[in-house]
Amino acid sequence: MLVNCEKQDGIGVIQVSKALTAATVDAFRDQFNHWSMAETEVKNYVIDLAEVDFMDSAGLGTLIAVLKRITEQGGDMKIANLQKKPRMVFEITRAYKVFEIYESVEDAIKGFE
Amino acid sequence: MIAVINTSIPCAWAGDISEKPWVLLPIANRPLIDYWLEACTEQHIRSVHIVLHDGAEEVEQYVGSGTRWNVSVEYVFARSTETPVDYLRSISSYWKKGLLYFGGPFFMRRRQAFRPERFRELTACRNDFGNLPYFLYGQNGDDVSRLLDGFEAPGRGLEAIHVHPFVIGTVGDYFDINMKMVSGEFTRYVTAGFATADQSSVGFNVRTPPSSYLRAPIIVGDDCRFGAMTTVGPNALVANHVIVDAFSELSNCLVLEDTYIGRNLEIRNKIVAGNRVIDPADGAFIQIDDSWLVARNRPELMTEDVVRLTVLWCVALVLAALQFIPFLVLYPFIKLSGVAAFRRELFHDPHTGYISLLIFGKIANRKSLLYRIFRALSLDRFPLIILVLRGRMFLCGQPPLRHPKDDAVVKQLKRYYPGVFCYRDYNHDSDLLTDALWYAHIRSLYEDLKILVKAFVSRFLTAGRQIPADSE
Repeated sequence: MLVNCEKQDGIGVIQVSKALTAATVDAFRDQFNHWSMAETEVKNYVIDLAEVDFMDSAGLGTLIAVLKRITEQGGDMKIANLQKKPRMVFEITRAYKVFEIYESVEDAIKGFE
Repeated sequence: MIAVINTSIPCAWAGDISEKPWVLLPIANRPLIDYWLEACTEQHIRSVHIVLHDGAEEVEQYVGSGTRWNVSVEYVFARSTETPVDYLRSISSYWKKGLLYFGGPFFMRRRQAFRPERFRELTACRNDFGNLPYFLYGQNGDDVSRLLDGFEAPGRGLEAIHVHPFVIGTVGDYFDINMKMVSGEFTRYVTAGFATADQSSVGFNVRTPPSSYLRAPIIVGDDCRFGAMTTVGPNALVANHVIVDAFSELSNCLVLEDTYIGRNLEIRNKIVAGNRVIDPADGAFIQIDDSWLVARNRPELMTEDVVRLTVLWCVALVLAALQFIPFLVLYPFIKLSGVAAFRRELFHDPHTGYISLLIFGKIANRKSLLYRIFRALSLDRFPLIILVLRGRMFLCGQPPLRHPKDDAVVKQLKRYYPGVFCYRDYNHDSDLLTDALWYAHIRSLYEDLKILVKAFVSRFLTAGRQIPADSE
C-alpha cells in the first residue's frame, strides 16, 4: 500500500494507490496517521482515489473512520477521482451520502473555499 | 416438426453475470430455455434436439428427458468446425416436416395482443444477429431449406403474431428484458408462484417480517428471507434463495439466485449475482468477497460440512478430556453450596424433533467464587460437549432453540445446527433468528473456530454474570 501525502494550499492531499481492502487498510491508516501527526496545522484533506481500482467494506470503513477523526478535529475531508468500481461500492453502501465526491483534486480543493 | 435448441453459441456477456450456461440465465425467474421448450409445447412439437457445449451437464440436469414440457429430448454435442447452419443442413432428414430453431440469446417477447394459439399461424421466418441465425421457423422442409440458403422469408414472421424478437446482445439488454417483465409483462407468460392483481409475484416459502415492505411491481422467487425494515421494489426481481439483511433497499434491480445482500445496502439499477455487482449500463462489475456487502449464499456443501464437523468433533474430544477432571471435582462442591445447578429443558433437535438438554444456572442470588470458576472454565457446557461426542449436537452453531418458546424461529430455518457455543455467548444482544440465518449462510471451519475462541474468552471474562442464553 503506497500513500503519497502532500500539502496543496494548506490542504492535505492523500493519494492512495492500489486497492483499499482489508489487506491494505492498516498500512493506509498507519501512513495517514503518521503524516497527519507531523502536519498538525493541516485540518482539511482530499483523498485522491484515482489509482484505487477496488474497495471493500474494510476500505470504506477506514475512510469513514478517517472522516470521523478529521471532523472531530474541526476539519473536513473530500473524495476525488473516484473510479468506476469503488463508485459502485459507494453507491450500494450509501456512502455517497456521507462523503463529498469530486471529479478531480482541483475541484475538491475549490470545494473548501 | 422438430425443434433444435443450440446452446453451443458463445455468449460473451453472460460470463460476467453467472458461471451458468447462458440458456439457464433466468428471465423473470425462469431460465431462457424454459420459454423455448414451452414454445415447442405450444407448437405441438414432440421431438427436441439440444446441441450442447460448455455447461452441458447443467443443461442436461435442468431439461432432463423433457417430460416436464411433454417433449422428448435428444442431446448432441457441437463440433467446433461446424457452423449452426452446417449442423442444421446435416440433419435435414429430421426436419422434412418443419423446424423450430433457437440458437442464441433470443427472447420471444409477447406483446399484449399475443395469444398462444396464434403460434400456429406463424409463417416461415428467420432472425439473425451478427450473421448467426438466432431463430428460424419453417413449416416444411422447403421453407427451412430456403431460409438456410439465405432467401428472404415472406411476411412479417414473429411480429405478425404479436411477438417481438428480442435479441439479448449485452448485459444491458438482459437487464432491460428482466425489468420489462417485472414491470408487468410477466403476466403474459405462465408464472411460477403466486401472482396478484397488483403485478406482484411472490414464490413459496418467502419470509418477510411485518416491518419490511414489498412494493409492487415485483417478482420474488422461492425460499427468500427479508430482514427487518427492508424495502423490496418497485421493479425488483429477486430470484430463489436470496437473503436480504435488515434496512436494505432494492429497486429497479435484478438479484440472481443464492445471493446474500448485506445490511443497510441500497441496490438500484444493478444486477447482483452472488458476490458480484454488475452495472447494466456499461457491463462493469465488481466481485466482492465480503459478507458485509454481498456474498453468495452457499448451497449444501456436504463435503465441507463433513470435514468441518470431523475437525470440531476432535476439538470437542480434546475439550471433554480437559474438562472431565475439573468437572468431577468442582460440580459436587457447587451442588453442595446450593448456588447453582443443572436443570433439564426441552429443545428442538434436527434429527429427533426434541431433545432434553442440561442447562446450568444460578439458583441462589449470591456471589460464589466456585460458580465463577466453573463458568469461567465453561465447565457448565461439559454435558453438552458430551452430546457433541455422541453426535447429538454441534460444538459451534446456531443457538439451541427451546420448545415451545422458539417454535416460530425453527419454522423459519431451512437448516438447524444447534451448537454448544454460538454467537450469543459473546454477543448477548443478538437476535435469535438473524443469528441462526446468518450462521447457516456463513458456516465454515474458520467461523466455528472464531465462535469457539470468542465464546471461551467472553465467558471467562464475564464468568460472574448470568448470561441471557442461560437465564432465559
